[in-house]
Amino acid sequence: MTHLLEVVDIAKHYPSGKGAVKAVDGVSFTLERGETLALVGESGCGKSTTARLVLRLIERSRGTVRFNGEDITALSPGALRRFRRNAQIIFQDPYASLNPRLRVGEAIMEPMEVHGIGTPAERRKRMEELLGLVGLAPYHAARYPHEFSGGQRQRIGIARALAVQPELVVCDEPVSALDVSIQAQVVNLLKDLQARFGLSFLFIAHDLAVVKHMADRIAVMYLGRIVEVAQTNELFANPRHPYTRALLAAIPHPDPARRGHVKPLGGDLPSPLNPPPGCHFHTRCPFATEICRSQDPVATGGAHSVACHHADTLPPMGAAYEGHISEAARRRLARYAEASAARSLAG
Amino acid sequence: MSATASAGPVTAPRRPSAFRMLMKDTGAAIALVFVVLIVLAAVFAPWLAPKDPYETDLMSIMSPPSADYWFGTDGQGRDIFARTLYGLQVTLFMGLTSLIIGGVLGALVGFLAAYYKRLDGLLMRFMDILLSFPAILFGLALAAIFGPGLTSVIIALSIATIPLMARIVRGAAVVVMGLDYIEAARAVGMTDKRIMLRHLAPNCLSPIFVFATLRLGQVILLGSALSFLGLGAQPPVAELGAMASQGRNFLFIAPHISVVPSIAIFAVVLAFNVLGDALRDALDPRLRI
Repeated sequence: MTHLLEVVDIAKHYPSGKGAVKAVDGVSFTLERGETLALVGESGCGKSTTARLVLRLIERSRGTVRFNGEDITALSPGALRRFRRNAQIIFQDPYASLNPRLRVGEAIMEPMEVHGIGTPAERRKRMEELLGLVGLAPYHAARYPHEFSGGQRQRIGIARALAVQPELVVCDEPVSALDVSIQAQVVNLLKDLQARFGLSFLFIAHDLAVVKHMADRIAVMYLGRIVEVAQTNELFANPRHPYTRALLAAIPHPDPARRGHVKPLGGDLPSPLNPPPGCHFHTRCPFATEICRSQDPVATGGAHSVACHHADTLPPMGAAYEGHISEAARRRLARYAEASAARSLAG
Repeated sequence: MSATASAGPVTAPRRPSAFRMLMKDTGAAIALVFVVLIVLAAVFAPWLAPKDPYETDLMSIMSPPSADYWFGTDGQGRDIFARTLYGLQVTLFMGLTSLIIGGVLGALVGFLAAYYKRLDGLLMRFMDILLSFPAILFGLALAAIFGPGLTSVIIALSIATIPLMARIVRGAAVVVMGLDYIEAARAVGMTDKRIMLRHLAPNCLSPIFVFATLRLGQVILLGSALSFLGLGAQPPVAELGAMASQGRNFLFIAPHISVVPSIAIFAVVLAFNVLGDALRDALDPRLRI
């Protein structure tokens, strides 16, 4: 069986005055059916660009994206439309993701209409089912987006994405614009829908508490490249790349004595217009040596892959990184789990 | 942002309708009523006019306003009240026709420029070139080519409106193009035409309405100016600018011949300007200057 999604050395360079902004610069990963892969990293590291390349909402500069074994970067317009039925996206900003002039019901039925799914009556029935799935009622279909709250709108966006029964759903920071209590609702809804329809999620986030709750595997991105990929628990327990360690250590801990010995990162993200040679991270890495400044590290290590010259010789992290998830994040995780349990009891 | 304190399900407070916002503004309400009256007067001119606008009464040439001739008569003894009503009809027809032609073409250019970024530079530079010619110049050129007449004026005003509308529409459409629901539409695999008609255009309507209202006043003024210069409506057609022009030789002995149509032009243009400004405030308070 092939992977659902296989991304090989994809890159997006935006031409700019002197050179090119390398927003994404050689990213490879795979996604299996029913799996959630999280892409994490700081702002501007290329997470969202990668997601849009996967959906071919923007054209790549290099590389291939295979969906069910088919290279989507070379699809004809007709074949691309068929692909679009199988891959959908959920957006970050629930206030910008719905057309304010379309009633909610129309917005959810439109994708089915575009792909010629069912008769108008069937589409209406399916739309009402979808509203029910995301916790809304059929009478909401006649309302306009401005009559809903942020969390409700986000769920309408989810219903719209599911209308064409996609296999892959890209979630572009789906909860970062929502209140914590609403986050739990939406995160758990996504998990329920995934279990029910066997969806695969490419889940983009910068909130590690959300990622820990949602993802099966995590890919950490830095300046247009993936630096480390591992199973979620493995990554939190045993981060190998210095950047991943810094990212986990950056989560504030209330007890100074338990902050561990990883120093917070200094400096800013270098410009993707002129990325540093060799390992992109060497300008901010406390372990950088000569080789890091000249040679690109190659990802090694199979299931837990890391792109660092010194991955095998770095000092062990000692304190488990569980300890670095702050109390606030821990409380949220507990709340997500509670909300999830309450849902399954009620259901 | 004010939060509603009411209990119950959380929904965004409903914005008052644009019409209601408009009615709160006294000046705008007066302007709207006036615009409606003008349009009705123009449409029903044949029934409202007490006399035939082309019938000359040689016994009462240039007579001042009286019970018989409410606004007096002109140099040929024609009833100015009747001619003003018919003049409104011609002037409004000229204004609306050129606004619709120029507005539709301009909006098309604006949407295409915003949607297809590769066309943007070319189309908008072409619009800039059009923008650099004054409308009067187009009027002169067209009158020289096709001869003076209403058609020439309408074409000239349409061409002058295209680049203005294109800029307004492009500006609004570029903002909408950056919103997620356009990307969602593309992710679903909709055709460009569908995205433009169903998702892009409906969300650019507010600035289009505002601009069209303001532009109608300007177009009427420009059209009247061209007619005044003798490039537009030709005698004996009753058109407000042409009527003002015909009276200018008698300005000292019979000022009402020029003054009545001039006041009519002034009132129409002012009404559309006030209405357009108020519409801008009502449709989008953020645009308030």
